[in-house]
Amino acid sequence: MDFLKTIGIAASGLKAQSGRMRVLAENIANADSTADRPGADPYRRKVPTFQPRFDRELDASVVALGRVRPDQAPFRTRLEPGHPAADAEGRVKLPNVNSLVETVDMREAQRSYEANLNLITSTRRMISRTLEILRA
Amino acid sequence: MAVGDLPLIGMLKTRMQWHQSRQKVLAENVSNADTPGFKPRDLRSPAFGPAGAAAGGVGVQLTQAGHIAPAGAGRPGEDARGARRFETTPSGNAVNLEDEMLKASQNQADYALAASLYQKSLQMLRTAVGRRA
Repeated sequence: MDFLKTIGIAASGLKAQSGRMRVLAENIANADSTADRPGADPYRRKVPTFQPRFDRELDASVVALGRVRPDQAPFRTRLEPGHPAADAEGRVKLPNVNSLVETVDMREAQRSYEANLNLITSTRRMISRTLEILRA
Repeated sequence: MAVGDLPLIGMLKTRMQWHQSRQKVLAENVSNADTPGFKPRDLRSPAFGPAGAAAGGVGVQLTQAGHIAPAGAGRPGEDARGARRFETTPSGNAVNLEDEMLKASQNQADYALAASLYQKSLQMLRTAVGRRA
């Protein structure tokens, strides 16, 4: 039945978006994770990627969370000579996480999640409308 | 004679199947709303001939390499006018969630309409055979 396939496709979207939320939460939680010794790198921001995947059972292209890749942007630095991870000039490398970007990204993930959820609700309503034909 | 052979009921059946397939295509669009390079798709609405039979999509066969495909040739039944897109993000994704939500709710309402008409047609048949609906 196509309706159940529809729900399966939307569920793949839900799963991908919640995986994205997980990666974003990791980034936000580690926004201040510096190294503990000079020369070491602090936390590097992770970027979730999405890939279309053709599902033979559903006969449709569903979405899946691809590989989580590190963000190649340079680290921020701050002058803090007393920090254990400070280099010879007294600069500490901070993670390349921008909490504003993460928050906006999270909003977008939430919006996409809700859209998939809406589609499931609407499909369920269509199914129950079909069943009502029998009841009359 | 099966109930599905009646033109009205056959048309409604085709229509409901079309809504079902369209809902699937819309789900694909929404779930790939963040996939780079994904273009949303839609289905062409079924056209019915005078006898109530759904006009099949007869296409031009390309038999030689030099033939030029007709404009907008995609998968069978796909709407070729799908180019009416609101925006394309830098990643090449052209899905607009609001547009898709609008289509999904419209699809749901139209499906409910077709289902009601189907139900009423069955009631009409029941009345015809003398049973009170």
